[in-house]
Amino acid sequence: MVLLQLDPFLNELTSMFEKSKEKGSVWVTLKRSSLKSKLQKRKLSAAGESIEYRCLIRATDAKKTISTSVGAKDHLRFQASYATILKAHMTALKKRERKDRKKPTEAEKKESTSTSTKPKKL
Amino acid sequence: MVYIVSWDEFVDRSVQLFRADPESTRYVVKYRHCDGKLVLKVTDNKECLKFKTDQAQEAKKMEKLNNIFFTLMARGPDVDLSEVTGKEPMETQPAKKGRGRKQ
Repeated sequence: MVLLQLDPFLNELTSMFEKSKEKGSVWVTLKRSSLKSKLQKRKLSAAGESIEYRCLIRATDAKKTISTSVGAKDHLRFQASYATILKAHMTALKKRERKDRKKPTEAEKKESTSTSTKPKKL
Repeated sequence: MVYIVSWDEFVDRSVQLFRADPESTRYVVKYRHCDGKLVLKVTDNKECLKFKTDQAQEAKKMEKLNNIFFTLMARGPDVDLSEVTGKEPMETQPAKKGRGRKQ
């Protein structure tokens, strides 16, 4: 498990996505953590100090794992960069086809023409 | 696995799950470019919620969910979620303009 700083982590994440284009997956896990052991937590809460929580982010491509932790100050900047990376790489997903929208309208037209013929038969 | 069909339900339940147990809840994203599939999972090791998709528009919704989780995890589960505005109202207050100059 490689613990990196924010920017190197983002660079490594980008290269992971690029490597996994032909085959393979990329997993990204987000978890809240204070990065302290139980003992330290008990000591801090006994002393009346607040425990500083960070967001732990792990990424793996099944070959190697990288991680970083983001605090409240950095999370906005990281969020923006992370969103950019995702948008750039998640290009294999399908876009909504307009054919789906056309089909119900064609079906509606057919229904309207069939209902108009019925009164004539009567 | 527990796959949820509605996006909004997935978001609501995962936020609820996180707020109930912020210490053990985690959010996992798996992306496979070769299959064009995206899977999201939120679990607190007791309950598991999953969502899968192959639609690009769902990826945009996922980005918003990412932001929600980042805010919740970095700042704490009691943060007021401004899902509507997209940014915390505290930060978007404009600077005081024009006060004191009118004489």
